[in-house]
Amino acid sequence: MIARAARLPTRAARGRAGGKRWGSGWHAYLFIAPSLLGVLAFLLLPMVIVLVLSLFDWELLSAPEFVGLDNYRRLAADGEAWHSLGVTAGYVLLCIPLQTVLALALAMLLNQRIRGVRFYRSLFVIPWMATPIVLGLIWNWIFDPRDGALNTALALVGITGPDWLSDADWALPAVALVSVWQHTGYNMLFFLAGLQGIPKELHDAAATDGATSAQRFWRVTLPLLNPTMFFVTVTNLIGAFQVFDTVYAMTDGGPSRSTEVLNFRIFQTAFKEFDFGYAATLSALLFAVIFLVTLAQVRFFGKRTTYDLS
Amino acid sequence: MTKRILLYAALAAGALISVFPYLLVVLTALKTQAQLSSTPPWLPGWPPTTDNLAKMLGGDFPRYVLNTALMTALLTAGQLVFTTFAAYAFARLRFKGREILFWLYVATMMVPSAVTMIPLFLIMRELDLVNTWYGLLAPYILGTPYGIFLMRQFFKSLPSGLEEAARIDGAGSMTILLRVLLPLCRPALGTLAIITVISSWNSFLWPLIITSGDDTRVITVAIATLKDGIGVDYHLMMAGSLIALAPMVAVFIFFQKHIVRSVVLTGLK
Repeated sequence: MIARAARLPTRAARGRAGGKRWGSGWHAYLFIAPSLLGVLAFLLLPMVIVLVLSLFDWELLSAPEFVGLDNYRRLAADGEAWHSLGVTAGYVLLCIPLQTVLALALAMLLNQRIRGVRFYRSLFVIPWMATPIVLGLIWNWIFDPRDGALNTALALVGITGPDWLSDADWALPAVALVSVWQHTGYNMLFFLAGLQGIPKELHDAAATDGATSAQRFWRVTLPLLNPTMFFVTVTNLIGAFQVFDTVYAMTDGGPSRSTEVLNFRIFQTAFKEFDFGYAATLSALLFAVIFLVTLAQVRFFGKRTTYDLS
Repeated sequence: MTKRILLYAALAAGALISVFPYLLVVLTALKTQAQLSSTPPWLPGWPPTTDNLAKMLGGDFPRYVLNTALMTALLTAGQLVFTTFAAYAFARLRFKGREILFWLYVATMMVPSAVTMIPLFLIMRELDLVNTWYGLLAPYILGTPYGIFLMRQFFKSLPSGLEEAARIDGAGSMTILLRVLLPLCRPALGTLAIITVISSWNSFLWPLIITSGDDTRVITVAIATLKDGIGVDYHLMMAGSLIALAPMVAVFIFFQKHIVRSVVLTGLK
């Protein structure tokens, strides 16, 4: 025992002196090799391909033809593409604020001592695991104007519901509502984790100083939830900008293009019209938009956030 | 007291809204065409029928379910192994370029999957892997930056002295990972497994693009085809939906405590 204890520091010292400790050798690269291959081949290479392809005119069967910035010129004048970007922005604005605020409210409700709190938590997360494409079919039926659940229920209280998915004014809000239904409970979990990380003494101290519950929410809870808020809004926005499955299942972009989000337009351009060069240009646009929005959020939250990435 | 009642009313309403669509699927899947129009959607048809389910299960559906299960199993296995390897190296080994490589990984988390779809398809087409299992699995089986990020955070949270004793006894990195660290990682591995199972089972856009034959068709694509095929036969569609959703709901009920706890634990560290 004594001998062993005495050996410890010497070995450690020798290791440090040799600079070889912790297996700083080649085998660390073996550990990361598979995932690095994945990152390079399936994430970085595709990014490069998108940028290169956006400079070509290519309809898959013919040979690609270099056209310089023609695709981007075409994009600038393409009303349909900008319309799709507008629809995407509308979708994001319809679902993100709602699913964030509702999730926070739910988390605050569930962050109290109430009976069956675990049961409710689990129930609220159930929508998150539903398959989006299946979800689309189910909600299609709920929104069915004639015998769907929503209008049947509205009829009971004397309201004639709209034709939801075939009404250009209602289709996008209806699709956004499905996103709110699916993501609120999942986001709630993160807020709940954030709320439980706030020391109770802070609330007590604020209460002793005479802060009302509203003041405590705005001055204590919300600022301390900043890292959670950052995580939730960034991941939700990135997801919402790429929405595809529910649109595909519910509306096919219609009626009269009112739900034709950018990702759906990209899919159509590439795999229905086989206009791969231009589809790559649209992908580059989508990436630029997501990148700028994420950057703006990093700036906005960065001033106060303590979100720790390392 | 009124406050309490309001609180429970709000919670009950939220719970009802959360499960209502699932309820609707079950009720509708068990209705006949006639019951579909004669009963309100939220009431069961009487007597319930299993004809819809039998009809769906009698066709090609079981095959698509098997394909999906196979895809999910392989992707989850790959994800767990390769993600753990990479996360372990990034968190607990020292090597040249570690920080730069890690930030490269983090940066790729921002690349939207929608943007890489077209090039991925073209890469697979070049490699002659369109409509094959390899093409379907390759982009997602080697681990995702998100999973690596999650696991790395977890590995970092373990005390640094853990490896010392094992190192001194002459254990290599692999032994340390398997014998010392992994047993402590169960909650994080559980989270990663569940996230991967659910996202694989639900994946739609990539299978839709890369597969076209029955051999590789997964349930989401089959359901989407159903929609074009049978129009508005909601009772059949809901029977198909029930078959697609049931395994995930089972996973959820089985691991329910684990999901909630582990997201709370490892989601934000």
